[in-house]
Amino acid sequence: MILKKIFITLLFVTTLYACSKSDDINPEENQDNFDRAEMLVNWADNIIVPSYNDFNLTTVNLISFTAAFNETTTQENLEMLRTVYKEAYLSFQNVALFEIGPAETVRFYDRLNTYPTNISEIEGLIAAGATDLSLPSTNDAQGFPAIDYMLYGVGENDVEILEFYTTHPNAEKNKAFLMALVSNINGLISNVSENWTAGYRDDFVNNNGSSAAASVDKLTNDFVFYYEKHLRAGKIGIPAGIFSNNPLPNTVEALYAKDFSKALALEALNATERFFKGQSFNTSETGPSYAGYLNFLNTIKNGEDLSSIITAQFSIAKNQLNTLDTNFINQINTNNSAMLQTYDELQRNVILLKVDMMQALSINVDYVDADGD
Amino acid sequence: MKKLFLPALFVTILFTSCSSDDDSGEAISNNVEAPATYVFERDGASTVSFSGQTTRLLMAEEILEAFKDFDNATQTSLQNMFAHVEGAADFSSEDLNNSDKSVRSKTAASKDFFGANTTEAAQIKTTFDGYISTQINEVFPNQNVAAAPGVAGQIADGSSVRYVTGKGLEMNQTFAKGLIGALMADQMLNNYLGTAVLDEADNRSNNDNAITETDKSYTTMEHKWDEAYGYLFGTSANVANPLPTIGEDDSFLNKYTGSVNDDSDFNGIAESIYNAFKLGRAAIVAKNYEVRDEQAATIRQKVSEVLAIRSVYYLQNGKTAIANGDMGGAFHDLSEAYGFVYSLRFTRNTADGMSFFSRSEVDSFLTDLMSEGANGLWDVTPATLDAISEAIAAKFSFTVAQAASAE
Repeated sequence: MILKKIFITLLFVTTLYACSKSDDINPEENQDNFDRAEMLVNWADNIIVPSYNDFNLTTVNLISFTAAFNETTTQENLEMLRTVYKEAYLSFQNVALFEIGPAETVRFYDRLNTYPTNISEIEGLIAAGATDLSLPSTNDAQGFPAIDYMLYGVGENDVEILEFYTTHPNAEKNKAFLMALVSNINGLISNVSENWTAGYRDDFVNNNGSSAAASVDKLTNDFVFYYEKHLRAGKIGIPAGIFSNNPLPNTVEALYAKDFSKALALEALNATERFFKGQSFNTSETGPSYAGYLNFLNTIKNGEDLSSIITAQFSIAKNQLNTLDTNFINQINTNNSAMLQTYDELQRNVILLKVDMMQALSINVDYVDADGD
Repeated sequence: MKKLFLPALFVTILFTSCSSDDDSGEAISNNVEAPATYVFERDGASTVSFSGQTTRLLMAEEILEAFKDFDNATQTSLQNMFAHVEGAADFSSEDLNNSDKSVRSKTAASKDFFGANTTEAAQIKTTFDGYISTQINEVFPNQNVAAAPGVAGQIADGSSVRYVTGKGLEMNQTFAKGLIGALMADQMLNNYLGTAVLDEADNRSNNDNAITETDKSYTTMEHKWDEAYGYLFGTSANVANPLPTIGEDDSFLNKYTGSVNDDSDFNGIAESIYNAFKLGRAAIVAKNYEVRDEQAATIRQKVSEVLAIRSVYYLQNGKTAIANGDMGGAFHDLSEAYGFVYSLRFTRNTADGMSFFSRSEVDSFLTDLMSEGANGLWDVTPATLDAISEAIAAKFSFTVAQAASAE
């Protein structure tokens, strides 16, 4: 009889087990003792807010130099404007990975860096004298890719580009739209920056639990999403033709500036690596981070610390990226396999971050590839 | 007695607890054998034909595209596409333009449900006409306006742009997902798979005696069955062996049967439907009408489940999006939900031969969805979305939680 009861129990257990395949997706509330609050403080105070502040300043410069260029449209002022444009675009790479809270609300990334930019849409907005670029259908006609076009792409050479703002029949409207572009960027980062200091920082830090809605879980998803979609795919994979039949060199970032795509990719990769290590924006000091969290949990993969494996992979990817031409279009047209190798090295960390790290931290991936409808 | 009873109980438990999606793949039934793929021949010639269904699926795809063609579409051009007449240059291809088929004529047009219910059929057609006029007259003029409560316009859904009415509805979604019920499911479940069509007039005796249609290789009954098949697999990459690309071959029933099949809770449902189509068709060849009708019942049940599961899926995803403050995403999900819920009217309960959901039940779901406040989806609450989800799931053996996650 006892044996029979055991048998019954076993049978039930087996039955339940066999049918439970869909119920074991959600990990339990995280039970580890790592101080997530400390990590959030480090992220907010030493990395995110200082990065936003830096970027905000570069956009103030962008407005000043655009005003100067519009006032005195010369080769010299064009070059100075291009310089501050590049500074701002580089600084943006340090905030692009934080699409959370106020940034998410204003669709920060999509409005600042949707590329390739849409020239006919830009021409329509110029003709209409548009200054409000908040409609989502204008995502691909604003931000840095649109400025890139306006400063490098509106003529065959600098003489023609200057003519676009001087002797062109629409010169005044062209200037006005350039100003609208930089003003919109500045308005967006000012808004995000102010919201962080005005209260979101505290909300972010205090939301220190471990659930799908908690800050660590959400920002980790944003971080890994950024690394996978915008860095690995957007900057390297799509132009290199990973997702198409042929390479698509015209989809590189900073298409018109030409010699700038590698610098942007490197800056972005550095930003993700620093965030992984918890490194302050302004110093080389590190604080509580993913690396520390993984070490705290003593996460081992194939006999090695997972944090060391990921850190090493960041270095490998960076070294590979460094071998590329400063202009990805040249690289794709001369030796695309080096682009593909870079993609592969970046992809290795997608697996390590998205699968190994997120599992170790008991964080669910909250995004899926869009179903396209 | 005890000894006998307990093992029987175990067996019952084992089977009932795992029975949700394991009943596919019956290759042989009552001496009827299903072929490996949907290939049927007579004297060396294929007897399979569903070109009319393929045509309507392709027409529906173009209508869907035109719904968002702000620069060119007009109410007249969309309406003409919907109610195409032979020879009119409504579509991009000559084949479609020269066809005498139209989407509208087969919308809510099944023999079983609407043969003697033309009042409701006319109402349903008018509803689809209304989707077109709302898109052209309310949404199009506000193409470059930001959507707000009571104001039609555009709204971001991630990196996508959605164009909604003042109540938050995307009319291209209500049209497309509504058509999955009113055209594809209704024609399949309530027309071609019903005995009123399969056994109409001399169909049985002709099929028994292998009397084919004039100048055709198939009997009428064979053809009717194939036409049902065509509403699911009519645009498949390989129409004889369509499962490898299920989900990729149209924007309608094929796509969402694939989506449901990708959910581990329902994996195998596409194969169940495909196998039932094969076996039922083989049964017609074998003149075994009992097996044929059993397979029709399976298809009716499973396709009905696809519509119900997808309704709940989008209602629940809309709820999550609202909780995240993502109204653009919520409107997109809930517009799809609206269309799928509308489609529930065309499901088929084999127990009573009726729809799983009456007209009034469906209308009341949609009223609940759209009338919580003055501005439709802008005002809908999680409690309402849950209540509708539960009411839908209650008619089937799946749970809201199973339908809500796509993993």
